[in-house]
Formats: sequence, structure tokens, C-alpha cells
Amino acid sequence: MNQSSSDNKLDQSQISKSIIAARQAKKPQMILDLIPYSSFIGAQAKVESESVIYWLERRASNIGNPSLPAIHGGVIGGFLELSAAIEILYVLDVIAVPKVVDFSLDYLRPGRYKTIYANCTVLRQGKKLVNVSATAWQDDPARPIATARCHFLLP
Amino acid sequence: MGFDLKLAIFKPALKFAMERSGHGAALGFKLTRVGRGEVEMTFPYKKEVIGNPITGVVHGGVIVSLLDTCCGCAAITVLERRAITPTMDLRLDYMQPAEPNKPIYVSAKVYRNTTNVIFCRGSAWQEDEDNPIAHCVATFMKVDAEGMRFTDILRRRISRLFNSSKKSSVEKLEETQ
Repeated sequence: MNQSSSDNKLDQSQISKSIIAARQAKKPQMILDLIPYSSFIGAQAKVESESVIYWLERRASNIGNPSLPAIHGGVIGGFLELSAAIEILYVLDVIAVPKVVDFSLDYLRPGRYKTIYANCTVLRQGKKLVNVSATAWQDDPARPIATARCHFLLP
Repeated sequence: MGFDLKLAIFKPALKFAMERSGHGAALGFKLTRVGRGEVEMTFPYKKEVIGNPITGVVHGGVIVSLLDTCCGCAAITVLERRAITPTMDLRLDYMQPAEPNKPIYVSAKVYRNTTNVIFCRGSAWQEDEDNPIAHCVATFMKVDAEGMRFTDILRRRISRLFNSSKKSSVEKLEETQ
């Protein structure tokens, strides 16, 4: 079931239905499958000990610096922004795709050519604004490669 | 300023490295202008990178990649010695959603170049440059790479192939970061 390859746009009721089904089945991957960008970079998600873990397997189209090789910084940023949005849709009682307002990213270590993992925390949820922090790592969660924080507007 | 020979040689190399490999090739953007401290890019609309399946708007992550690349390229153009420029941080403000089916234009400018850090800002727009869809500031570290020539990279690849414990300057550099 890959809707992303279809040319037809989805409507809100289809999105809502998939999000609710994903929560019931405890499969955040079902929400990721709705967003074409996630398959473009290859982002995946699963529930592990009550929280959602996101990961990005290495692939040639995500390389930024071919001589090292290192993962493109923009891909790490895009992956964290995507994870943060999915976290909102999966964890909070929100069924419309949240709008990103700002995004701040600190690069701590180079992203080597291997799987990147990420987890997100909703730090604050207001009526309109949600603040999410996201951390990415490769070998050891205690040695993150990047951290991000972002604000989303709820429609 | 007159004719800048170094930049004239450098420009096609940068264009090739950014457009023909890895994520740049996957996204399919083009570098349209490379000047000292100033770079411009164009990104055609692509269905594969949609972030909102209802409206067809591209994902914010694409804008992150475009601005990071554009600022990074601008940072490289102001280097006065052989060095690499990893991004320290990147901050983005999304002013309005991008419109689907229209190209996105990106420009970046170095506004301060110090001994160790390069400060950059960039913006992305569609119809009107003064009415951008996103704006960003990014800082880049200058890391000396005097020994980082093609031969070093080759040697490192070979040593990895033979699983040798010897490490090249590049790996030492990565570890110290």
C-alpha cells in the first residue's frame, strides 16, 4: 500500500483514518507511508519500549560529501523535522499535518555512512503551538550526531 | 574585483560535486550562480519530496537541504586555504508554505568570515525575492585540511580495505570533532 506513488492527492478524511489506524495498530510507519518525502530519504519508524524510534538506513542518494563519505547535513535536518512531525501525529491528539514554523539544528558530530537513529520529545503542547526536540545518533545514544528543536503550528 | 581565476576554476568543480552526486543528484537542484561568498540555486518542483499529501507542498526537509547546501557552498567560496567547512548550526524560519508545482529559488551569502567561523544567511523564495518562504542563518567551522588531498583519501580507502589499524588524517579529524 504505497499511496505516495499515486498521483492523486489525499483528502483530510483519508489522512485522519490512516493516523487513527496507525495509533491503534501501534505502527507509526503507517503515518510515514502517507508522506512521499519519507520514502524519498528512506525514513522508518517503530514503537520500542513505549516510545517511537525513527531510523534512516544508509543509502547513496543521502550522501553529502562523497570523499568522506558523510550523510548530507540537510538530510539529517529533514529527517529530524519529519520525525518531529510524525511524533506529533502519533503521540498527540492531532490529525491534521502540523505546519512547521521554525527549525533549529546543531550538528555535533559528522554523520557517517551508516544508519541514523532518532527519538523525539514533545516539550510543550499549547492550543496552537507545539515545541518538539529531536536527537539523532548512530552508534551510541549518549553520543548524538545532531540535535534539533522545532515549533509547529496546529491547524 | 576583475577576473577571479581561482573561482573560475573552482566553479565547475563545485557545480559537479553538488549536482552530480549523492543527495544533490537525488534532489535535482542546479547551482545557477557562484560568486565569492554568494551562491544561488534553483530547485524544480518534484512529486517525490511532497511533505503534505493533501496540498502537495514539498516537505520542510527539502528546504533544509537546499539552504544547508547553498550556505555551505557560499562558505567554501570564501576559504583562503585548504579546509573543510562542517556546519555547526542551522536555524530556519518558515515564513509561508511553498506553493506546489513551482520552482524554489535559493540564495545564500556569507556576511562574516572570521579566523575560525563563517557566518552565512540564506533565503528561499518562489515568486518574489522580497517575500520569501523561508530564511535561515548558518554557521560553519573552518577545519584545516592541508593533508586532505586525493591521495590521502585513496590511502585511507585502501587501508580500510585491508582492515589496517593505521588511521589517516581524515579519520583522526573526525574523531577529534
